[in-house]
Amino acid sequence: MLTMASVMEIYQLLPKTNCKECGKSTCMAFAVDLLARKVKVEDCLPLVREEKYRANYQKLSEIITPVGDVTETGLIVHEDKCIGCGNCVVACPVNVAADPFGAGSGKAPTSDKVILKVEDGIVRAKNVEECRRFGENKILCVACIDTCPTKAIEFV
Amino acid sequence: MGFGQFLAAPEIKLKLITYRDVFQDSAKESSRFGEEYEKLSAVIRLDPKDISKLAIKEGDTVFVKNGSGKVIVKAMKSGYEEPHPGIAYMVNGPWSNALVPDDTGGTGVPKFKDIEATVQSAKGGKVTGILDIF
Amino acid sequence: MVVCLSNNYYVCTGCALLCDDIEVELEGSSLVKVHSACRKGVARMKGCETPLECAVNGKSTDTDTAIKEAARILSNAENPLIFGHGNSSSQAQRKAIAIARKTGAYLDDTSSFCQGPIIEAILQGKLRTCTLDEVKDRADVIVFWGADPSSSHPRHMSRYSYFPRGKERQRGWEEDRTAICIDVRKSDTAEICGNNGTYIIPPGEDAEFMDALVSGLSNKVPKTSFDFDKKRILELTNILKKAKFGVIFAGLGLVYSLKDLEPLFALMDKLNSVSSFHLIPMVGQYNMRGSNHNIFEETGYVNRVKFGTEVLHGPEYSVVEALKEKAVDAALIIGSDPLSSLPLSVARYLTEIPLITIDPCQTLTSSKSDVTIPCALAGVESGGTAIRMDGVEVEMKKIIETDRLSDEEILTRILEAL
Repeated sequence: MLTMASVMEIYQLLPKTNCKECGKSTCMAFAVDLLARKVKVEDCLPLVREEKYRANYQKLSEIITPVGDVTETGLIVHEDKCIGCGNCVVACPVNVAADPFGAGSGKAPTSDKVILKVEDGIVRAKNVEECRRFGENKILCVACIDTCPTKAIEFV
Repeated sequence: MGFGQFLAAPEIKLKLITYRDVFQDSAKESSRFGEEYEKLSAVIRLDPKDISKLAIKEGDTVFVKNGSGKVIVKAMKSGYEEPHPGIAYMVNGPWSNALVPDDTGGTGVPKFKDIEATVQSAKGGKVTGILDIF
Repeated sequence: MVVCLSNNYYVCTGCALLCDDIEVELEGSSLVKVHSACRKGVARMKGCETPLECAVNGKSTDTDTAIKEAARILSNAENPLIFGHGNSSSQAQRKAIAIARKTGAYLDDTSSFCQGPIIEAILQGKLRTCTLDEVKDRADVIVFWGADPSSSHPRHMSRYSYFPRGKERQRGWEEDRTAICIDVRKSDTAEICGNNGTYIIPPGEDAEFMDALVSGLSNKVPKTSFDFDKKRILELTNILKKAKFGVIFAGLGLVYSLKDLEPLFALMDKLNSVSSFHLIPMVGQYNMRGSNHNIFEETGYVNRVKFGTEVLHGPEYSVVEALKEKAVDAALIIGSDPLSSLPLSVARYLTEIPLITIDPCQTLTSSKSDVTIPCALAGVESGGTAIRMDGVEVEMKKIIETDRLSDEEILTRILEAL
């Protein structure tokens, strides 16, 4: 399933003509920026303009969903998809370490140090500098992504 | 309008299975009479093959009917990886319940998850409103 | 001013998980923020946009008049139906039972076409069960059968069944627990269980799949008419055999596909002869199980009763058959919307008889009712107790004040007016 689009996946859907209309030197460079949300799908003019790319345009628009609040670690919560189940809150290793008997045990967080917390039915990220994907010793932790039933969490 | 409107739209027989959805449930808590609840309830989820058989596009409206009732709902792709032609899904709600037969064999339990119905393009007909289901 | 009631936990009545770790922020007398509840729970607790009005024959009136008219309708009826109860406190349910007794009514609840048979079997000691707290502390093999908690009970997996650390499950779900999903479609819950943990079976074949599991557990070849991969069935039976503390969460998919519970009893017996298994029903409405317990205490049956000189019980007294056969001549609906949740072919008859609705919100049923009486939103505007899906009693506290009476108070006054 699509948890996070890869650069190659995005590149395959682009025109691959290196036309430079977007201002980038290659389609690959555009793909990298698109993944990081530095550009929009619509910035690829041929993709929007030409009928033959329509299917790819549509697919890309589905993959590259609009960014809400991007945190410093690149964590995005797609609020329209989040059901507030709290799976990520309980699974996040930082939450478990900070609050073993609250968040780590399935209950409402009892510590201010947790990263993920459900408010008004939607998960919110706080203290993101504590996220394992952040800082010098960062690792590619996927606990919150893997446990989400609706693919509401993404890192860009 | 083209010549198509004079041709009978293809009709297919399907088995309907109902399920629950948290977004639809939340919309119900806010208002049963709201647009959101209709938008999330009046939908049938089909296999892509059945959508082509019906000669419709995703998002078009369809008649779903059987001996118990008839509603117009929006046709969407189910999005499931495994193909399931002949089986369609509807979220539990007044629209699916309009199609559940009263035949229980005397058990007191209707067949909410095993409904036979036919589906046909509604050719742009409007989705049945919640108060028009009766 | 925003008041944060820190460490002051409330109970969510969004579903029968009755999450009891909810914190709220108030502004005046309204909830402005709800902490830790899921999307569905928050929608429930924040209340509806379309509150029910107090009315008789479509005209606004005061509560006293509406209660009097409700009592008149029930007294005049020969065979009234009293239905709903899943969204009422246990205290309100007991009042409803008293009204049914006094009026010689048909009494049924939503479990009649949901989890009734399973809860009855549990109360009769025919199915081994356990609590959700035990699941959290001990369960290592968790089977979701015809159940999709990610859609129906969003916090189920995070609070109790899969992700939390528990006493004997300290290392987290990846090492300590195995989640299995048996369903007719790849639900959101199946996504979490993964391809290895997901078993997709054809609709209506649950009984046969249970038989196949019994065969596998008995070291026989697990045959199915739908040719399910035998190797995969044996992989599953191996997991089930090794379970130290197993639990099956039975969803409506399982309940609706079985003609009777025999195949499930056979599977549970077999499982308990090779390992240790429990079963918990995935009850929907927050106090549907409470209704079963209360009716059971009063009558010896969990639902589908008719009061008279003696208490009658059977499918013919179910809400569905009673309406289908037009056996009732008035109806009192409490916290339920049968015109939405029952087959229309069955429920339509309600529009032909005198109809009373007690609910916090407008519903399809209230829109066709002769008498509508608004009540407080349980768990937010009124308290009481309720019984969680696993049979544990939970106490609800009132969070905010309201002018509306609780359903318990309304039913008490109807009872007095009879």
